[in-house]
Amino acid sequence: MCNRIKLILLGFVGILYMSSLSADNTISLVLRDHLFIPAQLEVPANRKLRLVIDNQDMTAEEFDSFDLNREKVLFPRRKSVIYIGPLSPGEYRFFGEFSPNTAQGLIIAKESRDAS
Amino acid sequence: MKPYYKLVTGFLYLFPMVFSLASYADGMVVDKVYHPYVLPFEREVEWRMLSRKTQSGNVLAQRAGLGWAIAETVTVEGYAIGERDTEDNFDLAAYELEMRWQVVEQGRYWADWGILVELEKQHKTSAYEAAIGLLFEKEFGKLSLTMNGFVVREWGSAVENEWEGEFRAQIRYRYMSEFQPAIELYSGEDFIGVGPAVIGLYRFQGQKQLKWEIGFVTELSQSVNDHSFRLAVEYEF
Repeated sequence: MCNRIKLILLGFVGILYMSSLSADNTISLVLRDHLFIPAQLEVPANRKLRLVIDNQDMTAEEFDSFDLNREKVLFPRRKSVIYIGPLSPGEYRFFGEFSPNTAQGLIIAKESRDAS
Repeated sequence: MKPYYKLVTGFLYLFPMVFSLASYADGMVVDKVYHPYVLPFEREVEWRMLSRKTQSGNVLAQRAGLGWAIAETVTVEGYAIGERDTEDNFDLAAYELEMRWQVVEQGRYWADWGILVELEKQHKTSAYEAAIGLLFEKEFGKLSLTMNGFVVREWGSAVENEWEGEFRAQIRYRYMSEFQPAIELYSGEDFIGVGPAVIGLYRFQGQKQLKWEIGFVTELSQSVNDHSFRLAVEYEF
């Protein structure tokens, strides 16, 4: 009985883990010279997304977005992952707290057939 | 009804039930609903005020805290707590040490989880309190549901050794950064209170930001008047 519960729990965690790592939902961004590249991204709406940000600068940055409800420190010379969504169709702004005048970006969530 | 919604509904019922199994009367339950998130490099100073008005008088409690992140997902905070009793004496009442751990990456799984551990000592008496809490948060579009469940142990020669349970919940509408209306619920120690709250955040340069929370909680389970007003201001730098 105890083993069965453990197996069920393991299976549940495994499903969660796999569903969170789906490669199709990964979007990549680069932070270089305090600029997000690309600064504008189109993503499919109503899907959970894995945003990978490669901070190529020598200093830390903090990704911040009230629209996306996310705050995350981007360590220098490191890739950071931010899980967002599912997003309703619309525009979601984000910026870097340490360079708010330059590090700015926009995510546009579109219905799947419209997203590029 | 889809099985998924049954699971969600069942969980939302179960969470408060598990943490309200034991409830006894000796303290104030209204405090703050904790979120399960920690930011590396985070440092903060915090001030909280609670004014509770009952038929026997008004009790005022204030606490000042200093916190900092000691790891990518762990933050610690120390507090000095002052209380004014019903005879208008305001004095240092207790010290508290708190540790909060963000267990999962925000948004990665169905919900976000954290753990809170607290240790409190009364200043002048032999009374201790240790608590462990499970922190939960789930987004539903622009709504965020946050729930805290605590198991509390009290001991010492000045208090009755006992186990307690507490539950706190908050539904917040992320309307705009500076103005996020919410409804809060506090339960434990023979107290069930509900009321409106407003949460706001103003951002300065870099990591510097000011957060505030204002709430008004009315006790529902007793017929007597019991209202609490809470205010929390937090400066992160």
